[in-house]
Amino acid sequence: MNEIINIVGKEVVRNVIGLVGVLVVVVVNVLILTWVERKVSGHMQRRIGPKEVGPFGLIQAIADGIKLLGKDIITPEDVKKPLYFLAPIVIFIPVLVSFVVIPFDSFLQVKDINVGILVIFAFSSLSVLSLLLAGWGSNNKYSLIGAMRSVAQNIAYEIPLLLALLPVIFMCNSFSLKDVVEAQKGIWFVVYHPIPFLIYFIAGVAETNRTPFDLAEAESELVAGFHTEYSGMRFALFFLAEYSNIFIICAVATIFFLGGYQGPILPGIIWFFIKTYALAFIIVWFRWTFPRVRFDQLLNFSWKVLIPVSFLWLLITGGMLKIL
Amino acid sequence: MTFGEIVFILIMLLTLFSALATALTSSMIYALLSLIVTMFGISGLYIFLNAPFIAMMQILIYVGAISVLIVFAVMIAGPHYLHMKAPKGWTGLSKILTALIVPVFTFFVFVNFIMGTCRTDKKLSVITTKDIGRAFFDTYMLPFELISLLIVVSIIGAIMLALFSKGEK
Repeated sequence: MNEIINIVGKEVVRNVIGLVGVLVVVVVNVLILTWVERKVSGHMQRRIGPKEVGPFGLIQAIADGIKLLGKDIITPEDVKKPLYFLAPIVIFIPVLVSFVVIPFDSFLQVKDINVGILVIFAFSSLSVLSLLLAGWGSNNKYSLIGAMRSVAQNIAYEIPLLLALLPVIFMCNSFSLKDVVEAQKGIWFVVYHPIPFLIYFIAGVAETNRTPFDLAEAESELVAGFHTEYSGMRFALFFLAEYSNIFIICAVATIFFLGGYQGPILPGIIWFFIKTYALAFIIVWFRWTFPRVRFDQLLNFSWKVLIPVSFLWLLITGGMLKIL
Repeated sequence: MTFGEIVFILIMLLTLFSALATALTSSMIYALLSLIVTMFGISGLYIFLNAPFIAMMQILIYVGAISVLIVFAVMIAGPHYLHMKAPKGWTGLSKILTALIVPVFTFFVFVNFIMGTCRTDKKLSVITTKDIGRAFFDTYMLPFELISLLIVVSIIGAIMLALFSKGEK
């Protein structure tokens, strides 16, 4: 091991290990979240959910993954090939980049960048682009409508999403995720900023394209929306990205409002995952609680409620910081 | 050539080619997509200038917001505008010329500057968000406020245009 480190340098070894770790977290997270989603959905509908494969159906997700891997990759005839092939790849870039800056524990972070939160949100705007690529490239009316809806949706949620985080950034004077967590040693920021937390969470659910904001895939209207024409492993990539996005949104909420890896007795990483998955559970819960909104409802709600309220909160926070 | 310079040249070529593609393709969606690639290339150049904040803002604003707004505009304009024919008398050469003039000039300045910083041992100091904030609200206060005035004027102009075109119908 030491020889390898000497040849290629410490930084490279660290980055490679970090990237492998990120991939492991992405895949394991998807396995856990699909199981949680199916089990929770099952119980909420008075079913049992998966139970045949492994104890409590725990290995179901792996079986599904192998099935998807074994499937024939079908390319419809009339698709616009470069766009169609590019879309599942592009949707995966923001996922990988975002995981790099997330601090799982005080020592467990691939890279602490001083504009960390901006990296996450700058690259997450790419996912809209990829939906657009998929929708346009598929040459299918359902895909196109789904893609256009996701673009319209993006206009609604992106602004409150960032504005809700700004009061926290005001308070700790840094864009680095680690600094934000360290600033919450005593009290979690959700105590100071309950309303931005709610706004962030609502906008975050919209960002992940989950019910009640799943306009882009709306299975009862648009077949499967933007990924109608995708099958096999390409579909799996969209699936992976969706669940990773849920994790990222919940992780950022945990870092900014719930104290990240801070917590008593248990090690930090366990606290981090407990908080993150508690939020992910709420997102799954949403799916069986709220009906889908129309996109004009979403736009109205976002521009007339979320944005003014978050601006007001920002103003109050700024004023309080100046006075205190 | 150092590793940094090779990466820089790759990013520069990517930016240039996608900028050309933006100007030359007849399909609106392809033009938009290559415009997005151009924006990414430019943000890569900002990272070379040691300004990570501006690089991220470049992606956030131009990829996340502006291009999405363009898609919105395309969606509203309808399918007739998706494959625009160039106006008559516009040959391929004049297209290329128009596509080249501005970027080439900006690139000369840019490239000189960045290559200069790559070559010398003296590294540019990292521009932090704090520095940018200080510059905006201290040294460049007046231009900053004037820009916001400009934006207000253009917003009012856009609203007036929309209102009057509706009234004529």
